[in-house]
Amino acid sequence: MRKILAALLIGAAAAAGAGAAMAQDGPLRIEIDQGVIEPLPYAVPDFVPETPAASEYAAQIARVIAADLSGTGLFREVPASAHISKVTGFDSPVKYADWKAVNAQALITGAVSVNGNQLTVRFRGHDVFAEKELGTGLQFNGTTDGWRRMAHKVADAVYSRITGESGYFDSRVVYVSESGPKNDRRKRLAVMDYDGANVQYLTNSASIVLAPRFSPSGDRVLYTSYESGFPQIHVLDVGQVQRKVLSSGDGTMSFAPRFAPDGRTIVYSQTQGGNTDLFSMDIQTGAKSRLTSAPSIETAPSFSPDGSQIVFESDRSGSQQLYVMPAGGGEARRISFGEGRYGTPVWSPRGDMIAFTKQNKGRFHIGVMRTDGGEERLLTASFLDEGPTWAPNGRVIMFTRESQGSAGRALLYSVDITGRNLKPVKTPDGASDPAWSPLQN
Amino acid sequence: MQTGTKISLAGHGLLMTWVVFGAWFPSEPLPSNVQQVALISAEQFEKLSQQRQAPQVSPEPAPLNEPAAVQPAPEPAPQPDPEPEITQPEPLEPAEPDPQVTDLPEQPPEPEVPVEVPSAAEEPEISSLVPQVRPETAPRPVDRVAPEPVAPPEPDTRIDDIVQPEVAPEEGAETEQETQEATAREAASDRIVTEENEGEDVAASAAPAVSKRPRTRPARPEPEPQVTEAAQPADTSDAVADALAEALAGGADVEAPEPSGPPLTLGEKDALRVEVSRCWNVGSLSTDALKTTVVVGVSLAQDGKPDTGSIRMLSSTGGSAAAAKQAYEAARRAIIRCGSTGFQLPPEKYSQWRDIEMTFNPERMRIK
Repeated sequence: MRKILAALLIGAAAAAGAGAAMAQDGPLRIEIDQGVIEPLPYAVPDFVPETPAASEYAAQIARVIAADLSGTGLFREVPASAHISKVTGFDSPVKYADWKAVNAQALITGAVSVNGNQLTVRFRGHDVFAEKELGTGLQFNGTTDGWRRMAHKVADAVYSRITGESGYFDSRVVYVSESGPKNDRRKRLAVMDYDGANVQYLTNSASIVLAPRFSPSGDRVLYTSYESGFPQIHVLDVGQVQRKVLSSGDGTMSFAPRFAPDGRTIVYSQTQGGNTDLFSMDIQTGAKSRLTSAPSIETAPSFSPDGSQIVFESDRSGSQQLYVMPAGGGEARRISFGEGRYGTPVWSPRGDMIAFTKQNKGRFHIGVMRTDGGEERLLTASFLDEGPTWAPNGRVIMFTRESQGSAGRALLYSVDITGRNLKPVKTPDGASDPAWSPLQN
Repeated sequence: MQTGTKISLAGHGLLMTWVVFGAWFPSEPLPSNVQQVALISAEQFEKLSQQRQAPQVSPEPAPLNEPAAVQPAPEPAPQPDPEPEITQPEPLEPAEPDPQVTDLPEQPPEPEVPVEVPSAAEEPEISSLVPQVRPETAPRPVDRVAPEPVAPPEPDTRIDDIVQPEVAPEEGAETEQETQEATAREAASDRIVTEENEGEDVAASAAPAVSKRPRTRPARPEPEPQVTEAAQPADTSDAVADALAEALAGGADVEAPEPSGPPLTLGEKDALRVEVSRCWNVGSLSTDALKTTVVVGVSLAQDGKPDTGSIRMLSSTGGSAAAAKQAYEAARRAIIRCGSTGFQLPPEKYSQWRDIEMTFNPERMRIK
């Protein structure tokens, strides 16, 4: 044995020696396949107020940008107390050495001016170590009451330039606001900015509302209401707060609606004679067509972003699993094969993943898998997690987490698709059933 | 004595012995468990097994309770918020440099680090023969994912790349001591820890976590380049002919001299690899950029500092042009950041490491 080991060592040494003695051809080549994953440090000093009335907004806008970027978990702000140089003018040259010294790898500078109720925000991003600008500067014009949106737009632009992905900060979330004790909970539809600001209620709490879903353009919301005593699908114009009933009130129950990517068709579940199947409906004409006709329960349909396929949950195999079928109906292919039960699938806006709720061994999980069911990854684990919704860029998932016990309440949480950065979303009351809007125009 | 008598005596003796002593060794039956078994019908069995299954949720929602007689006060009808007007962004003109400010202050030089960071590259070669065993401890959820997990530092410890013990001046000490603040590496885990696998214990296993690939056979040394025909005959030892051949063949080499001298050892290459990888942060890269391998070329000065102007992307594979740009930016940041104090390379081999091609392959960094 010793002889063999010695022979191996001699062989290894000889190989190393031969390698070292070999003449090098061309430049030195090395391969780096290990790095670190940590938030990228950046600095966003207060924006420069260019008019007296702008000073009110200049600092606030910088704070919203910092909250957006740091909130992703991909960036870490270098606090203002560590800054060496101050930005005194928007067009002044940046002293990169000062920002390198505090290890800020990206720097955002900007200026704000107010004229009447018109607000103008200009900004530039800088790659500190490369000592150059990150793309060209941009200018946003708007009204003063939209200052938060303008901050989100700046953060979106910076996020996109650094990560190469589109942002998601200038977006809204519609959800069910819940107040009152568990046995007498009052539910109403609410819409807010993605970060919990600017909450606006869309319905009163006279009747139960469920599962709101944004249209692809973000101007309308589909939801299920029990106003008539049994579930019916309504569509609501977010801007005008006007609504109308979509499903007919002929005693059938309609629920779990979702828009097709074209915004003209919806797909939903309908229960008739004790059997639940999937249907699609043209919103303008009201023409319906049946997509499934199995004796099992089919529900929670969600379109692929190209509109060609639908993912849904069904118990046709004996337990609740996920299936994919063509958008016009037809043969469905099962994609979930793990332990436990799978439900509420949602197709990612990028088209490459499906988020779902999984129940296994008494725990609930939010997970993601490829659209063929491969690479399943569970991101969370708790007493009750359900109802995932994707951020417009397909990088973050928001969902409902309900705590245990009679005092338990539902809250919204968000998590990165890597499973990092799990955190609650601030809402004034309890909240459930979130649905993320697309990026606003 | 007759044989029959003997048999008779022996038989009687045995009989008497059994009569006298037999009662002393009672043989009791072994204790046995008796279990009552009830026979049930197939229908009963089906009912029992059905109860074990999870309760089925009725597809029909329960009827709603009618609202109580007391009508809740009608809430004011929600009014639409006036949408803030935001026009499309306009690109800004690049800022004119302020003529008044010309010289930017130099970045303060970072202090020289006297202590060398022990690197994996310095391990003896025998490590390749010993299988690496998975760590027994479960990973901790921390902000940083790095190749080597680092335990959380003491709360008051300053975070630095170099681990240094605290040195406080002792009272009454004869020699003057230089104070030294304690530093520690930032806490890191070697993989992304999600809520789902947070409490998981990693089973200790003797199975190797990483198996090294066998080394490829070194390529045969290339034959000496043929001298052009004008320099022939090769066997001449005439100094004039040699000088002529050199002048004819070596004209192009003046521009780009080939590296000469002994090449870098594997340990020196590994040390450089480790230095760069500590600054290669892929945490803010898009998933597309994490599928892109980029080859970056860089020239180093004799003090080991990279010439930032020379950093360029030579090629990329696996992603779109936009993803390659992001991946390249991250690679460039790694070279500039970690090279700001100069890479630790042997000065006598400068011609070997003056030009470097670094391949940044994020395959192992996607989802760990």
